[in-house]
Amino acid sequence: MRDFQGTEIMHNLFIGSYDGKKRLFTKSGYPPHYGERKIGDLREWMPQRSKLGALFLKGKIVRFERDMKVLYLGCASGTTASHLSDIIDRGILYCVEYSAKPFQKFLKLAMERKNIIPIFGDASKPENYSGIVEKVDFIYQDIAQRNQVEIFVRNFEFFGRQGSEGLIFVKARSIDSARDPEEVYSDVIEKLESHFKILNTGDLLPYHKDHIYIHSRWRG
Amino acid sequence: MRYKLWFGEYDDGSVRISDNLKKSFLNCFNSEPIPFSVSEVGKKTFGDEYYSILRKVAIEVARELVERELKREDRYVIALVRALDEINSSVNLLEEKLEEIREVRDGRLASEFERRIAILKSFRGEIEREIEEVMRKIAPNVSEIVGEKLGARLLERAGSLKKLAEFPASTIQVIGAEKSLFKALSRLKRGKRARTPKHGIIFQHPFIKTLPRRKRGKMARFMAGKISIGARIDYFRGEINEKLSEEVRLKYERLSRN
Repeated sequence: MRDFQGTEIMHNLFIGSYDGKKRLFTKSGYPPHYGERKIGDLREWMPQRSKLGALFLKGKIVRFERDMKVLYLGCASGTTASHLSDIIDRGILYCVEYSAKPFQKFLKLAMERKNIIPIFGDASKPENYSGIVEKVDFIYQDIAQRNQVEIFVRNFEFFGRQGSEGLIFVKARSIDSARDPEEVYSDVIEKLESHFKILNTGDLLPYHKDHIYIHSRWRG
Repeated sequence: MRYKLWFGEYDDGSVRISDNLKKSFLNCFNSEPIPFSVSEVGKKTFGDEYYSILRKVAIEVARELVERELKREDRYVIALVRALDEINSSVNLLEEKLEEIREVRDGRLASEFERRIAILKSFRGEIEREIEEVMRKIAPNVSEIVGEKLGARLLERAGSLKKLAEFPASTIQVIGAEKSLFKALSRLKRGKRARTPKHGIIFQHPFIKTLPRRKRGKMARFMAGKISIGARIDYFRGEINEKLSEEVRLKYERLSRN
């Protein structure tokens, strides 16, 4: 902790300089999960490994409250989920993932954290887990699939309520590899606009190429 | 209205609690969104314990599913690929026989025969889709680089995802060209000149097939290298790494330009 000077920009989320570089940390009572450094009780959030980390480090704010209910689609091995779980330490994080290998690692995290509910299932079929997940305040989606926008909307239909917010990461190439990325993005945004109020969008450079994020609010 | 919740069945305000939570957790399909929040009803039933019970059941179920999944999926793909090949050759054979019948008598029997072949063909499509879906799940990187179909074929030749991950890239490059490889090797051993094959079944990939002959070897070698890395990530970590397919695409673009 000696060299760290930072500010808490959100509950348990710190940004500041360490080792002469701008870095992001979450305050955590848990051990490292994916090989990140731990300095005192702060776990470093590596922006190259997590799109949400990149977003925060770029100075963008997507607000999470500590008692929020969040549905996370495509949690993979839980890199981002581990930090999100630190932030919403009084909330609940429902995590859906359908690939067994990363989920195995994710389960270790789920067993350690009291606020994570793991669901081994396909995010494109919310009806299959509709009797498990409650109405949530936030839906976070990071799955590179052709129909990812439809999947996002469909999950909001099941678990969103008026005013719920969403964050979706879109990879142009996985939606249509032949078309110009900009065209794909504006298509996606247009599609989202019929269900959401768009709050913010942007890229994740220099940490992640070919991706944009879209922060939005469900119209219900 | 009735809804299936993870802890039991909801029917107009009352809940019949399931006597097997794991079973009901796995079976809570509702075709339409539930108009209330599951946790509200749950807290009435379980009180403050709600989330800790949910969490416990969720973890138990997930562990069992993951374990089962990891054991079986690659064998399933392999069996499907083999079945697909068998169906392919059967369809071809049957179509020949149909023609033979038609030439003599194009009657009710012939059209019935045709209908049945068509059913088999659409079933073939179903198997192909299943292969694609499972491949995406168990080998996302290999699928991303060479496509699900070709990936499944490589997996079938290798025998398991583990074996594919353990193969050197040079082996992956010539999978499917064993005959010409060993012919060439044995000639070389006898001191004669020979050329080892440039590519095995990965030749079917458009990035190799569409290049001029003299560049195919380069592309095949590069691609095999990336497939090999991808297979290892698939086997050990299972997460997708978008860089691999990106690099393959760039290599192709560079090669096809000049």
